[in-house]
Amino acid sequence: MNTVIDAHNVSKVYNRETVPVYAINNVHLHIEKGEFAALVGPSGSGKTTLLNLIGGLDKPDTGSVFINELDITKLSANKLIDFRLKNIGFVFQSFNLIPVLTAKENVELIMQLQGIEKSVRDVRVQQLFRQIEMSDKMDVRPAQLSGGQQQRVAVARALASRPKFVLADEPTANLDSKSAFNLLDIMTKLNKEEHITFLFSTHDQRVIERARRIITLVDGRIVSDTAAVSTRHEKADV
Amino acid sequence: MIFIMAWRNIWRNKMRSIIIMSSIAIGLFAGISVLALYKGMMKSRIRNVIDSEVGHLQIHNIDFKKDYDPQFILANGAEVLKSVRDIPEVKLAASRSITMGMLATPTGSAGVQINGISPDLEYQLSQLEKKIIQGKPFDPKKKNEIMVGRKLAQKMKLKLRSKLVLTFTDTSGNMVSGAFRVNAIYQSDNAPLDEKNIYVGIGELNTLLGIQNAFHEIVILLKRDADVKKVQQQLQQKFPACQIESWKEISPETDLLVKTVDQYSYIIMFIIMFSLAFGIVNTMLMAILERTREIGMMVALGTNHVRIFLMIFLETIFLTLGGMPVGLFIAWLATAYFNKHGLDLSGMGREMMSSFGFGTMIYPEFPTDKVIGVLLIVAGTAFVSCLLPAIKALKLRPVEALRR
Ligand SMILES: Nc1ncnc2c1ncn2[C@@H]1O[C@H](COP(=O)(O)OP(=O)(O)OP(=O)(O)O)[C@@H](O)[C@H]1O
Ligand SMILES: [Mg+2]
Repeated sequence: MNTVIDAHNVSKVYNRETVPVYAINNVHLHIEKGEFAALVGPSGSGKTTLLNLIGGLDKPDTGSVFINELDITKLSANKLIDFRLKNIGFVFQSFNLIPVLTAKENVELIMQLQGIEKSVRDVRVQQLFRQIEMSDKMDVRPAQLSGGQQQRVAVARALASRPKFVLADEPTANLDSKSAFNLLDIMTKLNKEEHITFLFSTHDQRVIERARRIITLVDGRIVSDTAAVSTRHEKADV
Repeated sequence: MIFIMAWRNIWRNKMRSIIIMSSIAIGLFAGISVLALYKGMMKSRIRNVIDSEVGHLQIHNIDFKKDYDPQFILANGAEVLKSVRDIPEVKLAASRSITMGMLATPTGSAGVQINGISPDLEYQLSQLEKKIIQGKPFDPKKKNEIMVGRKLAQKMKLKLRSKLVLTFTDTSGNMVSGAFRVNAIYQSDNAPLDEKNIYVGIGELNTLLGIQNAFHEIVILLKRDADVKKVQQQLQQKFPACQIESWKEISPETDLLVKTVDQYSYIIMFIIMFSLAFGIVNTMLMAILERTREIGMMVALGTNHVRIFLMIFLETIFLTLGGMPVGLFIAWLATAYFNKHGLDLSGMGREMMSSFGFGTMIYPEFPTDKVIGVLLIVAGTAFVSCLLPAIKALKLRPVEALRR
């Protein structure tokens, strides 16, 4: 089985007592290993909510979320924290990094929390910074990095724990075009070369073009789920 | 890494952290100064008790102190005195004859304790000569001289050369009286004692009492304070028929005072730290509030509650302990200075100080014995202060924290 994410009949309702908002309404979603999928839709359509449910940051009101066949909605709060640490990589929209830690320490922190020993960590950190093309910026604090560089470090951090997949909520929203493409290049490369599974939400047409699968949400429902026509980028690659 | 983060986190808002650390340093300094002052006062009080009031040990006839009846002389006093002087730990031992009586002047009368002393020994034993503020010490050539305390002299309107009459019962129960002339007025650090004790030559008192070559009390001064228990036991074995008391038993209020003040010291420290705790809690709460998103993110990434708690606990500890060395050091410097030069509290009034048995010059002493206790109180404060902020942080739900 190559299914990493299997969301079943998932719903999330806010303000149930007053004016109910069906942020997510009966959603079914399968993501296979190695996918590079974009979650798109207008503002308020439920993208963040769905990612939070899949990432075990929030619990659905109905339905189950299976990650590698484990129903994470049944896990206790503490088990869930541990589960996230070991299985899911997160990239948030902005201010991803801990300001008092250097870029390297930010990435290393996740591995240290996992109990990986120093020598192994060092090798992995070097490798990750090579992959995000920032080997020269390892000892710099986030404040001295550009927004794009910060997001790249966040990607490196998300990968540090060798997660089953990476969830990214609008990772390029605060970036200029050049940085956005740069980040996408790195994500696509990691996806191709290391078969890292990415599920990311976005508004950004430039980003959507790069996705190989586009899942469209409207009012908490999936209205379309299509394999993208191969992009120019991919053509050039082949 | 959590350790590093905690350490760097407290320096994110340098000003705020420095203010908290300084207030802890100042609080600690204030607390320790008070303890040092207390310790200095207690030490000088104990020195007063031992060196100028009761000595280290006293020996009496077992019945004597019940009523101060002069017939209960110390049996074989001379022998006891001799063997006491042979004990190597003993520095000095002197005998006194004591009786309770009435001091009368043409204008009034007062109850007093009449101490018959051997002047030369007494000068060394209770510093009596140094306490003289008017007049001259006993003149061996003159008879019927008497020394009275300043407080009593004031009350009875006695001046140098004033004549007075002492009346008391002798060993056979007859009333006797003798006329004396004031040769000196003394003042010690203990006003209540000054009001009660008057001193005459032991020979003259004994004649009036009708006892020969005997006395009621042996006062012993040791070379070292630490030997009190040991010598007391030794004497008790040797002279089981005598009552042998240490200064703590003779002046239990002093011992009690020292113990009470010890407790007060901790209470004061506790109050200071308790008020500082509010500042610490406030600072930490602000720090948590500012970092809501960051902490939420850490939890989202998989940082468990234990580690979040540890981070906040460490931050509180650093914040609290950061000011500690400085506070301790300043307190140590200040006490070292005043220990050498003395702290003159005469501004508070000599009367007031002496009515409690204290001198006005205080030599504060760094309360080394209490440092551990103080440190525990400080550490406890840090721990208690971190609880509220930590609970606040642990309650953060990552989804909500991340929406900010
Ligand atoms: N904590 C909450 N309480 C109440 N309503 C909420 C809460 N979180 C989200 N919502 C509502 O749920 C719906 C989905 O929100 P969500 O943030 O998932 O949308 P989104 O697609 O991520 O939007 P955007 O593109 O603006 O980020 C919205 O209508 C939003 O107002
Ligand atoms: Mg969103």
